[in-house]
Amino acid sequence: MLQLLGVLEQGFIYAILALGVYITFKILDFPDMSVDSTFPLGAAVTALMISAGFPPLLTLPASLAAGAIAGAVTGLIHVRLHVRDLLSGIIVMTALYSVNLHIAGRSNVQLFSFNTVFKNPFIDALPDAIRPYAPVLILALLTLLVKVLLDLYLATRSGFLLRATGDNPTLVATLAKDSGKVKILGLSIANALVALSGCIMCQYQRYFDVSMGTGTLVLAVASVIVGTQIMRGLRFLRATSAVVLGSVLYKGCVALALSMGLSPFDMKLITAVLLLLIIVAGGHSRRRGKYHA
Amino acid sequence: MKRILSILAALTLTLCAMSASAETYTIGIGQFAEHGSLDNCRTGFIEGLAESGLIEGENLEIVYQNAQADMGIAQQIAAQFAAMPVDLMVGIATPMAQACYNAADGAIPTIYTAVSDPVEAGFADASGAALGNATGTSDMLPVQAQLSTIRAMLPDAKTIGILYTTSEVNSLSTIETYKTLAPEYGFEIVESGISTSADIPLALDALLPKVDCLTNLTDNTVVSALALVLDKANTAGKPVFGSEIEQVKLGCVAAEGLDYVALGRQTGLIAARVLKGEAQASEIPYEIITEPSLYVNSDVLSTFGITLSDELAARAIEAE
Repeated sequence: MLQLLGVLEQGFIYAILALGVYITFKILDFPDMSVDSTFPLGAAVTALMISAGFPPLLTLPASLAAGAIAGAVTGLIHVRLHVRDLLSGIIVMTALYSVNLHIAGRSNVQLFSFNTVFKNPFIDALPDAIRPYAPVLILALLTLLVKVLLDLYLATRSGFLLRATGDNPTLVATLAKDSGKVKILGLSIANALVALSGCIMCQYQRYFDVSMGTGTLVLAVASVIVGTQIMRGLRFLRATSAVVLGSVLYKGCVALALSMGLSPFDMKLITAVLLLLIIVAGGHSRRRGKYHA
Repeated sequence: MKRILSILAALTLTLCAMSASAETYTIGIGQFAEHGSLDNCRTGFIEGLAESGLIEGENLEIVYQNAQADMGIAQQIAAQFAAMPVDLMVGIATPMAQACYNAADGAIPTIYTAVSDPVEAGFADASGAALGNATGTSDMLPVQAQLSTIRAMLPDAKTIGILYTTSEVNSLSTIETYKTLAPEYGFEIVESGISTSADIPLALDALLPKVDCLTNLTDNTVVSALALVLDKANTAGKPVFGSEIEQVKLGCVAAEGLDYVALGRQTGLIAARVLKGEAQASEIPYEIITEPSLYVNSDVLSTFGITLSDELAARAIEAE
């Protein structure tokens, strides 16, 4: 039961990351490599603010803003300086490594003695029966909020343009809209969510480490693909819900691989096999056609 | 698919339940990465427990997980230990120890080892007293001993070069110690920071002409690329001092280093006291190894024409 809690908690944290990557990877068809650094960027901002005594809740909008700026920079480099999409992400990822070190001040900052959104006098005052479930409830609410807001946004005029830009940039041009601006906006929103996820992760694990971003892009892309693959089997699911589910399933696979008690060498192999099983099992009602995956 | 998953989940739960039963202790050992020193630490730890009468397979169940240097996995390992729950968590290396400490949340005693600076890591206050339900051992480098040995071996040297990774917090705090102590021995420290192992060749080319010798920290990235460091330094005719025995075996001149097996054993003894209920983890200050050992590599010493003084020769251990 407790182990399931852990899977859900981490699954929800990474779901916010996966929702961000869903925007760039699936909607915009933009391979945004900067994610590996914008995730710790949110964490660095959080570590700085919490250790300086700011209320933990304020770190959420602050890391959203930091991520949005980073995403906009990637977009500007790509659109205005005409640098290839992959490379502009790599450039921002590289630069942010130093920025993150400067923001946090050190490569590892611990927050064990500070209040966070998961650990504060209010949570401590909850009855014993509820307290263990507080983090998962907070995370579920937050992830739901992010998902619903994203759904609402994607249904707006701007959201439609975003989707059109990924599928058919020519259409956007015929509508007399600047697809470059739409890309920059999309990257901003995506990286804002990624940084928010880093902010939450930092408060959850109660320390920042500059290398905590290593591998986040791969993890997020895997969650997105697992999610969208399941969606093909379960058509009633929205893509965003499927991405959240994908993230939880991914973490579930890792937890299962861990608890099988096999050699630590085999952990990643088992995770990969479990993921493959899910993808194959979920993809039986495959539609014909091209997918950006 | 769902059925397979649920069967697997059920099996896992049963296994967990079985291992937690009877009067044996169950401990979870989380190790951050696959690394000679950390492996030695774990070996020593299990020996230390055995010395205290806690023998794996008899009255001790060990769940060992390795995070393969992945922070996300480290979190999940710690969460898994907390969920089982184990009687005691062991975190080897700083990120793993921090993850365990967080997941245990005071309810499960946490023992850490191979943490260079438990104060910086948030486990202890400046006096060494535990801040939470966690204690362990530090692998802080014997910088003073290392500087005095380098001075004795290279009487004319003025500058020592240090290559380190900017993401490793232990390296940063050790460099600060080096810089504070170096003037006492008439040395100047020139450091060069890298972010990945791919930066090492360029950083070395820039660093080597400026220094008389190199000394290593326990920096994981640099130590993993030691062969390259030694190759470049030897070509430039500059000796490299190590920070532990494994590095001297590979071709460093000498090292005032820790015996990680001994460090692990010392940690195992602490863990046994906590498990048996003789003391709370929160009551035990963290420990360090006070007496470093001098490891030398005679072949490399003679290549550089360095002769050991009688005092050094008396306590030098040949690394082979």
